[in-house]
Amino acid sequence: MKVLGISAHYHDSAAALVIDGVPACAVQEERLSRRKNDAAFPLGAIEWCLDHAGLEPRDLDAVVFYERSMRKFDRILTSALRTFPHSWRSFPHAIKNSLGEKVWVRGIISSQLGVPRSKILFTGHHQSHAAAGFLTAPTSRAAILTADGVGEWATLTVGQGERCPGRGASITLRREIRYPHSLGMLYSTFTAFLGFAVNEDEYKVMGLAAYGRPTMTDAVRKLIRSTPDGAFALDMKYFEYQTTARQSYSPRFVELFGRPRNPYEPIDLETADGRRYADCAASVQAVLEDTLVDITRALHRETGLPDLCLSGGVALNGVANARILAESGFERVFVPSAPGDAGCALGAALYADRVFLGNPDRDVPDHPFWGPAVDSRELAQAAREDDQVVEELDDAVLVERIADQLAAGRIVGWMDGASEFGPRALGHRSILAAPHSREMRDRLNRDIKYREEFRPFAPVAPAEVADRYFDLPPGGSRLARFMSGVFPVRPEWRSRLAAITHVDGSARLQTLERGMAPRLYQLLEAYGRRTGIPVLLNTSFNVAGEPIVNRALEGYSTFRRCGIDVLVAGSTLVTKRASPAHRVKEEVA
Amino acid sequence: MAVQQGTRLDRLLRPVHRWVWGSFDRRVRKLIAFSQVEGDGGRDILRAAELTPDPLLRRLYLEHAIDELRHADLFRRRSAALLRLRSTRSTALFDSSPLPGGHGLDDLSIEGEPDHRLLAFLHVAEKAAAGRFAIYRDVVADDPPTRAIFEEILRDEVFHMNYTYTQLARVLPESYRRRVWQARASRLWKRYLRLAAAVADVLGSVLLTVVYFVALAPFAWLAKRAERREAAGWKPIAQRDNEPSASQY
Repeated sequence: MKVLGISAHYHDSAAALVIDGVPACAVQEERLSRRKNDAAFPLGAIEWCLDHAGLEPRDLDAVVFYERSMRKFDRILTSALRTFPHSWRSFPHAIKNSLGEKVWVRGIISSQLGVPRSKILFTGHHQSHAAAGFLTAPTSRAAILTADGVGEWATLTVGQGERCPGRGASITLRREIRYPHSLGMLYSTFTAFLGFAVNEDEYKVMGLAAYGRPTMTDAVRKLIRSTPDGAFALDMKYFEYQTTARQSYSPRFVELFGRPRNPYEPIDLETADGRRYADCAASVQAVLEDTLVDITRALHRETGLPDLCLSGGVALNGVANARILAESGFERVFVPSAPGDAGCALGAALYADRVFLGNPDRDVPDHPFWGPAVDSRELAQAAREDDQVVEELDDAVLVERIADQLAAGRIVGWMDGASEFGPRALGHRSILAAPHSREMRDRLNRDIKYREEFRPFAPVAPAEVADRYFDLPPGGSRLARFMSGVFPVRPEWRSRLAAITHVDGSARLQTLERGMAPRLYQLLEAYGRRTGIPVLLNTSFNVAGEPIVNRALEGYSTFRRCGIDVLVAGSTLVTKRASPAHRVKEEVA
Repeated sequence: MAVQQGTRLDRLLRPVHRWVWGSFDRRVRKLIAFSQVEGDGGRDILRAAELTPDPLLRRLYLEHAIDELRHADLFRRRSAALLRLRSTRSTALFDSSPLPGGHGLDDLSIEGEPDHRLLAFLHVAEKAAAGRFAIYRDVVADDPPTRAIFEEILRDEVFHMNYTYTQLARVLPESYRRRVWQARASRLWKRYLRLAAAVADVLGSVLLTVVYFVALAPFAWLAKRAERREAAGWKPIAQRDNEPSASQY
């Protein structure tokens, strides 16, 4: 049976194809359209999925959209009514936005793909999140928690999942917290207040938090209070996201936390304002973690299960995830590679396959590599035409050469096989570098990523030896599989892993098993033989403001315009030649 | 190809440009807007480099994109330097700029566009931007660092104007002049469409605002009453909501 899942229209649209119960492919639209966080209907992603599987739209048994668009519209309209007359500015925009396209999903899918309307199904937004977390995790029974900004009405749900191999699977979401009370919106409001882009830069708040002290948690707790039943509620007089799209915090919020940061003003931690911003980030981070730990503790007591599946945009918060693992009582915490809305495409397809169509449950391969594969010939051709040094090498030779380059302090663009599904580069579209010195971190920030100094870089290490360098609690290695947890670097290694050790001594580690990315694993081993430390700095292969590269040519254009020294795609190795830039200008001038 | 000082309209508007650039806040806002526009333009041209089958054009587009991204960086750094000179507390400063930018009024469509159409478009857009930048260079004479940025960018723009024209003549020798005229016409048509869409948007907003105040008040009262009765905290999820279905509701 062939089921296509689609997520679209809010942020990070994607398509995923499930064939006979197993994912065949999945890709975010942004990777193909090259528009970061592309929210458009993912026609490119759908076409790629169908082409990849050799299918026509008529071959599909079902097309599943990841949320119920009319229920979402109900929430938008009801919110406008509840905040009447203050919502007068946002109302026209919200209505035009919804009625312009978003509520007509069935018609859009039917007309774009030419599939009968009877084949088009809908799952709930948080059901899709839950399925993305639970049905891709190697567990048969688990508690489930989903949390994000908002879906239709729900902003956080808890429940339980059960899989019976050979039979079906069930996901039962028991209760929810509803809009406007939302952990995701609370965090996003601080993201906006701190001058970062909402729905995109929340991880910068997490990075900044390490530089601050949670001195303002009392103030944050004025914004969010616990309810007697163990949930939470926001005090809406501090927020404006219900009444205007322009600003999510109110003047009272500003009275409490001071002047918001101007987005173009660099954060200088030497100044009082800079420290205040860092303290704000630390405080909201602490309250978020406390709230999630309280909820997951209660969920553990209620279900008595050892496993927890976390999903939704909030599950991208690796610091909170690590605290949940350490303090909730769950032994294992699973976060999918794409916990955000893009992952809902896969979740919706799997959910419809198991629950709606009643197909038997099957194990899902435990890796994130569901996207388009890289074509090394494409790279070789473009680089040769551009007069670069191109070599075709055997795997073993190539790995040794790259290990030499990394040990010599060179920065490597690494493209291997199918691209990752989700926001993290997990070894198939990565920039790799030696993790030992602060100079390397500064060079990457300055010459390649063009980003703020306070943002840390992540390490990748073989799963078998990661515990030697990082203080992993039980279950930590699993959480680090898709870079979903932040853990302390062991103190004795911090000076030798300075490029990936954050200011608070932590790192967002990826633990790698040989089977998941064999070539990168070999590279880690080869690098370890040279330096004694089989750990590499692994950051996503993109520059600020762009999606992670997908095709070899995109990797090449990124390589050409930033400080990457060496580029690898499959068996092709390109070494940057000094400044061919002016030659072409002179040639045509 | 020499840079002309903008269109006749731009030249007539020189006092307006002088007024715009004369204010610190507006100057910073313009620089930030230019940074964003140049950055977006650079990424579009980068996409063209990734998609074109023509090896020479790929290299030229890539250099062009690198230039545009560098311009974005120059504008960004200059605006940051100005901000450091005088810390501003006006958040309104960072609202979207209504002022025309370097390539800000041009829509660049890349996917599926043949090279000749893209080259013609780029040529026309670069020429227009260079003309406007030449005016800006003159009206910021009191600010040598900003003037120096415009001068540097203008040198690049000359290369961009020239290579797009010569390459257009190479890939479409029989009708390249006609293509340039078509690109100019298309640019005007897109401006008209954008204006029409903006007018329609305003009319739609006015209509919906009237509906909001006239028709929604009684429903708002009911919605608020229902909200008051709703307790905060957990809400149970009905079993039917756990089922996927053919219903969007």
